[in-house]
Amino acid sequence: MQDGLYDLLTKKNWLVSHVEIFDAELQFADALIILPRQIPIITYPYEWSFAMWQDAALLTLNIAKEAIEKGMLLKDATPFNIQFLNGSPVFIDTLSFEIYLPEKPWVAYRQFCECFLASLLLQQYCHADIGKIFTLYPNGIPLEILISILPKKAKWNLHTYLHIYLQAATATKTGKTKNGEAATKFTKQKMLLLLNGLITYVARLHVKKAKTTWDNYYASTILSDEYLQEKTKLVKYFLSTISYSSILDLGANDGHFSLLFKNTATQVIAVDGDANCINKLCSTIRNQKIKNILPLINTLHTPSPAIGWNNAERTSFSKRIKGDVVLALALIHHLAIANNLPFQFIAEWLAAMGKYLLIEFVPKTDEKVQLLLQNRQDIFTDYTVIDFENAFSKKFKIVLQQKITGTERILYLMEKVIF
Amino acid sequence: MRYTYLYLDPGSGTYLIQVIIAAVLGGMMFFKNGWIKIKSFFIKPKPGNDLKEEDVEEKESL
Repeated sequence: MQDGLYDLLTKKNWLVSHVEIFDAELQFADALIILPRQIPIITYPYEWSFAMWQDAALLTLNIAKEAIEKGMLLKDATPFNIQFLNGSPVFIDTLSFEIYLPEKPWVAYRQFCECFLASLLLQQYCHADIGKIFTLYPNGIPLEILISILPKKAKWNLHTYLHIYLQAATATKTGKTKNGEAATKFTKQKMLLLLNGLITYVARLHVKKAKTTWDNYYASTILSDEYLQEKTKLVKYFLSTISYSSILDLGANDGHFSLLFKNTATQVIAVDGDANCINKLCSTIRNQKIKNILPLINTLHTPSPAIGWNNAERTSFSKRIKGDVVLALALIHHLAIANNLPFQFIAEWLAAMGKYLLIEFVPKTDEKVQLLLQNRQDIFTDYTVIDFENAFSKKFKIVLQQKITGTERILYLMEKVIF
Repeated sequence: MRYTYLYLDPGSGTYLIQVIIAAVLGGMMFFKNGWIKIKSFFIKPKPGNDLKEEDVEEKESL
């Protein structure tokens, strides 16, 4: 790439590195085939926490800035060009660069605003959970729609006004004179002002804080300290009996159990449907400089679907995210009772994601299950420990099981069986 | 589906706004720099400007 831009960006770990390969089947005249370093876990923007969105946006802008200095232009600014590797964002589209012409403005500017700024602003002004909306608008949230959702006060920030409101108002004006020439010439200095301005602006954005059911779950609503200590001890013990490399923690909350394995697992993926919890975990791992925990937002009873052209461009969460051990702690009642899912369905879903399963069974007598049943008819006659074991035995072999002291809850370590 | 932008190429559709933003930010930068110059004219820089107070004390005690 021009004037050492590739070397510069790969040295900083901003751009995925690649090797040139020869493939007789793919080769055609003068073609250069590159094989990028493979990213083990592919995630999509609608699964990211606010901090991940912000990091991805800043990386895009910083790469654009470095490229300008090297005479190249970053022509795409979509978050799908970013993946996360060892806790940091990395740009994966090596072909997104073209020769920079100073008289031309940033061709990816609107894309940047509609993808990055739109999602960040919705999370700042509306709700931490709203990042999921990007599933519906993977090419960017149109400014008209964004403006219709944002509260009126958003307009009072100068940068938001310029990049969103004024842009929407001037969208149909080309800024060209009658003979098709630009009224004012764009320059490198203007480009750098624009990029630097965006960097300062994006770095100052922050997520809207709201109190949710899952906030401080362990600190305030959990049954007792003794329960948490006992469960922690058991989880550690159960996992010490098997060998594993990666862990997938489903319903991770603020990552209490994911954090237990920061030194023993190569990779931990912590998933929760509550954005506040995942944002909290994100700041914990940032403060502790943990590189091997990947926090993701996902509603487990409706995981991210396969989207894009022919539903084949981006795979679904269930097909993509795996772990050697799947943790499903205090999750079963939410799936089985709150979402009416039969044990058999849950067992099949979990069996497809990992070799081992560490699952906590929460019986009907438990106060949390009673809370779920409070305002509805109890139609769950087959929500018993026997039905649970029977259904899961079709997919797993129970290796260990232990009642958690002081509760009726049972912790199981299961191993997938192949029939 | 792209509403007002359907028939606009991405570059020309945002040309004007990018020019405006660059001008606004450039103007802000100009005034900011001017203000810093005015301030530095009236306020004399402290001795050892780039050293923190503790550093100065430490240096002096050596």
